Amino acid sequence: MKPIPYTLIISALLMLSCSTSVKEDYTLLFNGKDLSGWNLLKPGGFEVIDGELVTRSSGSGTDIYTEKSYSNFILKLEFLLSDVGNSGIFIRRDPSKPGTGFEVQLLAPWTPWRDDLHCTGSMYGHVAVSNRPDETTGKWYRMEIKCDRNIVTVSVDDQITTMADIDTVKTMTGMPFTGYIGLQGNHAEKEGQFAKFRNISIKDLDADPDYVITGFSNNNWELRYISRLAASHLGAVMISPLAEMMTAGNPMEKSEAKQALFDIAAKASDPLTSAGEKRKVRSAIQTSIKTTSSEITKDYLVWIAGMIN
Amino acid sequence: MKKVTQITRRRFITGSAMGLIGLPLLSSTFRNVAPSDRVRVAVIGLGNQGRSHMNWFNALPEVEIAALCDVDKIRLEAAANQLRAVNPEARPDLYSDFRKILERKDIDAVTCATPDHWHALIAILAFQAGKDVYGEKPLTYSLAEGRAMLNHLQKNNRIFQLGTQIHAGDNFHRVAEIIQSGKLGKIHTVRLWKTGGSPGLGFPPNETPPETLDWEMWLGPAPYAEYTPVRCHGTYRHFFDYSGGVFADFWCHIADIMFMSIHPKGLYSIESRGERPYDGISDTPRWIDVDFKFRDLDVYWTTIPPEVPDSDKMHIGAHFEGTEGSLTCDYNNRLIKIGNEIVNDIPEIPVTIPRSPGHQQNFIDSVKSRQQPESNLVYVREMTIPMHLAVISFRLKRKLEWDSVNETVKGDYAANYLLSRTYRKPWTLPL
Repeated sequence: MKPIPYTLIISALLMLSCSTSVKEDYTLLFNGKDLSGWNLLKPGGFEVIDGELVTRSSGSGTDIYTEKSYSNFILKLEFLLSDVGNSGIFIRRDPSKPGTGFEVQLLAPWTPWRDDLHCTGSMYGHVAVSNRPDETTGKWYRMEIKCDRNIVTVSVDDQITTMADIDTVKTMTGMPFTGYIGLQGNHAEKEGQFAKFRNISIKDLDADPDYVITGFSNNNWELRYISRLAASHLGAVMISPLAEMMTAGNPMEKSEAKQALFDIAAKASDPLTSAGEKRKVRSAIQTSIKTTSSEITKDYLVWIAGMIN
Repeated sequence: MKKVTQITRRRFITGSAMGLIGLPLLSSTFRNVAPSDRVRVAVIGLGNQGRSHMNWFNALPEVEIAALCDVDKIRLEAAANQLRAVNPEARPDLYSDFRKILERKDIDAVTCATPDHWHALIAILAFQAGKDVYGEKPLTYSLAEGRAMLNHLQKNNRIFQLGTQIHAGDNFHRVAEIIQSGKLGKIHTVRLWKTGGSPGLGFPPNETPPETLDWEMWLGPAPYAEYTPVRCHGTYRHFFDYSGGVFADFWCHIADIMFMSIHPKGLYSIESRGERPYDGISDTPRWIDVDFKFRDLDVYWTTIPPEVPDSDKMHIGAHFEGTEGSLTCDYNNRLIKIGNEIVNDIPEIPVTIPRSPGHQQNFIDSVKSRQQPESNLVYVREMTIPMHLAVISFRLKRKLEWDSVNETVKGDYAANYLLSRTYRKPWTLPL
């Protein structure tokens, strides 16, 4: 792995400090009562006790996964490990394909060979911690995992422990940028061990139009593809920035924006789409038809608007 | 050509044999058809396929290439030089605007090998000008254009042949005979495939079009776009603005054998899956799979060949599954499987379908006889409809329900909207 550029660390720190102050964009992933919102691969791996999500299983395959998949996000949670607790957080994983995505490790420091590449906060086996966190067991820690396209940042109690540009990590090349978030069932080789989680929440960066539009300029096709999907999901609110990009962008941006505009209109035109959503998309296109400075963009918008009845 | 001549089968067989061997040196010997009996042909669009038109028709003794047309001066000159080299007697008039050709009363027929978005308009204007048309595939850019073409063909009593020259080969005729013999029982499933898809073409910058190219005219009824070379010659088919990619390009070649053999009716459901390229400005499928449901027949199109005999050797193919056996074929080969036995032919099935004298000769014969040729407009229009619907399903990312009697998509406004496209001014599609 190449060292992370200094500027990247600074910008990550800036984003981190911003994000911690904004609470309203976060969605709870754990309601403190039951496992709704999660899929269990095998029953019995996790239980809810006193508002905490506890795993005390010892077998494998007892992991749980979010029902929804995520590409770019900030995940926040608190964790606590017993003396020999061994768990982790799966990122961008397809549960039906073991080994996809990566794991941010959570591990009590119980064996001497658990080095920086396999300790709490590491991207297990791929990226070592650069700043090893406190590993005292029986104590709650706040963890934040930020997946900003190819840049992944892990921090514990507001201190960055690990950072990676996964494009430069050999063992991570070709990993998908989308997948489910999972919690690994405790698999310590000793009875009576556990890991606990609470206050699990997520900010989906792909729900933010300003974030999504920047993905259209990314040189990685998969990240552009994810941004197009996100734009299609966001619908009307993306029309104006995309119309602007189709007019003023570079050839790649123009082409991607053109396709995304089509996809939004096509989705809005679906007989199953609500009348309200159709109206919103159509009206956003009409606004851009009036404001765009390009004849090519205007003609294209007029054409796609025609799809929506 | 002044008079309509009925020609005998014997004569057109001789004619086609001449066509095969009558290339350059012998041409003058065989060009003894009276000038009044010659069909005067103009070729519009002079890329690879257009130059093939020129050469194919030039080789027919009854044909005189009277004019050539292209919006690219370099291509126009190159084609004219090529023709003069092959046929020193040729005196083609050269045009950059096809409408000048349509004004000429002495031209009987035009062949059209322009990009797809021009096919329908050129054909319709030619019909209106009293000319017969040999047009390249795919038939049209949009489904509605096919209807308009048929309307004007009938109104003006014209001849049309689609340039699906594979149709004329012996293999397709023999496959149709075998399927129609009933030896394979009732055909319930057909699998069609073509490997490969559109490349991304990268993200090249826009450029000023070369002075030798009339870019405005090249675009014609298509939406205005800034010029970049990959949008134009050779790769335009990878843009939905002008065509529908490899799928639209090859559908008619291989769906042809299905329509020739069993002529499926009552298409009612179309569902496409696929992806566009990720690495460039092209937007047509890099792969596409389509499930079609006809009355009593399931048809599957795939980009990867299905697991059927010898499909790994066929980049394009068709597989018929019947209650008694199956048949797999491509343009030139066929495998018949009944039980565990695989054969190439069933000799006891008689030859019942007349063979083509050659696809271009078949057209010229039709021009003279006024009987429609094998790949006539009624036939090819019906054969092209599933392709258009699959493209729309791919673009909208949803299943379509088709009313094949009224030719409308049920309950999907956008899908019906995409059956046609408004032409860019000043062009209009005569309905």
